[in-house]
Amino acid sequence: MFNSFFLKNFISWLDKSSFLRRRKTRRLSFQFLFLVFIALIFWYLVSKAMQLDLGFSHLNSRAGFGLSHSFLIDYTSNDSRWQAYFTGVVNTIRICSLGILLTTILGTVMGVVRLSSNFLISKFSALYIEILRNTPLLVQIVFWQIIFLKLPQISDAIIVGGFTAISNRGILIPWIDANPKSEIFLGIVLIAVLVSIISKIFLNRKEDVTGQKLHSNSVSLVIFFVISLVGLLGTGIPFNWDIPSIYQNEFGTYMQSGGFELSPEFLALLFALVLYTGTFVTEIVRGSIQSLPKGQSEAAQALGFSSYQRIILVILPQALRSIIPPLTNQYLNLTKNSSLAVVIAYPDLFMVSRTIINNSGHALPMFFVILFTYLTLSLIISLIMNILNRQVTKVRV
Amino acid sequence: MYKKTLLICLSLILSYSFLIGCQAEEETASSSTSGSTLDVVLERGTLKCGVNDNLTGFGVVKPDGSFEGFDIDYCKAIAAAILGDSGKVEYVPLTASARFTALGSGEVDVLIRNTTWTASRDRELAQDFTATTFYDGQGMMVYADSGYKTIEDMSGATVCVLQGTTTELNLDDRFTKSGIPYTPLTFETNDPLQAAFEEKRCDGWTTDKSGLASKRAEFPASAGGPDALVVLAETISKEPLGPLTRDNDSEFYDVVQWVVFGMMQAEESGITSSNVSSMAANPKDPGMARLLGVGFDGGEVQDFQFGIPKDFMQKVISQVGNYGEVYDRHLVPLGLTREGSFNALWTDGGLIYAPPFR
Repeated sequence: MFNSFFLKNFISWLDKSSFLRRRKTRRLSFQFLFLVFIALIFWYLVSKAMQLDLGFSHLNSRAGFGLSHSFLIDYTSNDSRWQAYFTGVVNTIRICSLGILLTTILGTVMGVVRLSSNFLISKFSALYIEILRNTPLLVQIVFWQIIFLKLPQISDAIIVGGFTAISNRGILIPWIDANPKSEIFLGIVLIAVLVSIISKIFLNRKEDVTGQKLHSNSVSLVIFFVISLVGLLGTGIPFNWDIPSIYQNEFGTYMQSGGFELSPEFLALLFALVLYTGTFVTEIVRGSIQSLPKGQSEAAQALGFSSYQRIILVILPQALRSIIPPLTNQYLNLTKNSSLAVVIAYPDLFMVSRTIINNSGHALPMFFVILFTYLTLSLIISLIMNILNRQVTKVRV
Repeated sequence: MYKKTLLICLSLILSYSFLIGCQAEEETASSSTSGSTLDVVLERGTLKCGVNDNLTGFGVVKPDGSFEGFDIDYCKAIAAAILGDSGKVEYVPLTASARFTALGSGEVDVLIRNTTWTASRDRELAQDFTATTFYDGQGMMVYADSGYKTIEDMSGATVCVLQGTTTELNLDDRFTKSGIPYTPLTFETNDPLQAAFEEKRCDGWTTDKSGLASKRAEFPASAGGPDALVVLAETISKEPLGPLTRDNDSEFYDVVQWVVFGMMQAEESGITSSNVSSMAANPKDPGMARLLGVGFDGGEVQDFQFGIPKDFMQKVISQVGNYGEVYDRHLVPLGLTREGSFNALWTDGGLIYAPPFR
């Protein structure tokens, strides 16, 4: 009450004075004041930050803690804190790359299905979107973790077909181990790739010249598989199967070994991220398909395309033009949301950094490292998606 | 139209100046903390105490919202010493990983949250440990039916552990020492850790033995109850627990330290919450008179110049009790007996020893 009265008087006073009455002066002065305030706040923050120790040298110390997941690199507690951090980064990249791949597949399928004339599957897709889009991601992550913890305990693990073990210690799937012959086989596969690429280029050129249809794709694929198969049989079996097993140790406790382990923490995070982000991708795909002129699918129908051909050859390639920009946002969201791993004991880069901060106390420099890493990851995704976008929009429709 | 814009601009500026005002206030608060926390506490009229809210016996929230436990009683004792009232404590529950930041940033005045005294925390984290209130040691709890008798047996085991604790580092040292492979499963808080342990996601659960005793005592019957678990005999590490203050805060540090020592001395001298007033009225010897801040035989009162009332120990003992009373109240029910342990008085062969009040 008092404020508005005061303001009205103040404004009328401003109106009367001639210099201040000029609209330009007033606008400029307010902008100037605003800038000054921003600068003051910025200066305050910087001066506070300057008082803190900004060294990164503590990251060279021995880490001294173990990590439950280390993918591709053999991390031990004897390594430095940098290496522990890097293990966390690889864990983040692992969950994000797999997450992005699965989200894309799920979103595309659900988006197409959402527009299906089949009542049941169309409504199933709608139900999926409405349920998972409207609950918080954090809750979903914890939910999936509880679900995976409720799998049978290791003593009653489910063995599927003798080669896959399922328990709340993780899902173990058979994997391959390299043996000395693998290198020879890998060389042969490389040759196969080269030969098939060369033959494809050759056939394409010939097709351009003669106009005769030579099926370059199928022919080069057949060449690749034939050479690879010859290599596989020629070298004998170039790898060993790593079959998971569950056994009792000398104390009667159940242990697991071998195979490729998908831990409950990894699966819970993956499920939550993929299913949650998938809802947004579904809506993007649906929206982009619906934004295409109806004539496109009618024309495809008129030309006698099957409904599968219609989607793959006509609809999706055109829809891609409007799918990619919003899709990039979802990929970035998925990457950034992966930092929620900290609540379910999955050692992603954020969780490892928090452990390091706790052991060393240098919070600010570590947060700079974390921010820089997420920024780099996001920019790489953006770059790839921008290149893809340029490819897709090259041809004007 | 432009009047509207002007109004918006003005209100923006008003709100900004308000923000700046708040910031300025904060700044004065933090600049005075760099002086002495003691003055801040006296001025504020409450003690901000960083505590655990989920460890039975040490610090736990009761259904009515109040806090209770061994560590909590030290918060109360410090408040009684400085402010004369053990109720003037503002409890700030902290996770293991957030506690040091909370103390360092001034969010709490003192951290009493079963925190282990280590060199790196003392120096690297710029914090000061006052006196050890409880000598603990890290242990390992496993399911009784696992057949594990020692840590050496646990090759390839998965062990649940809290993030950001010395426990996490000791665990690694212990397994590395014996060259045994293991997988640590690191949780941020206790609840998901316990949930995972109950589902046998991990073979072992490691933390301080006092903590294990408390978790074992309240292990739900649905998961087998306390009898389904055993705490292995081996003590992995030394874990002296006690209150911490910020570095370079001697006045406040001394108060916290000597309140703890005073409670130990009180037990040694046989002063309890029930007899403190009669002891103060008629001290048995000059030492007791110095501790309670009264004159002996009509003589002068010795002033230690802590910056708080001379009779602070009287208030602490009458409102909270001596070391033994606090121990018996919270830790004996967990089955942590004092006899023969490090936490017995030095006169009984333990490590509880207060320097002289002189």
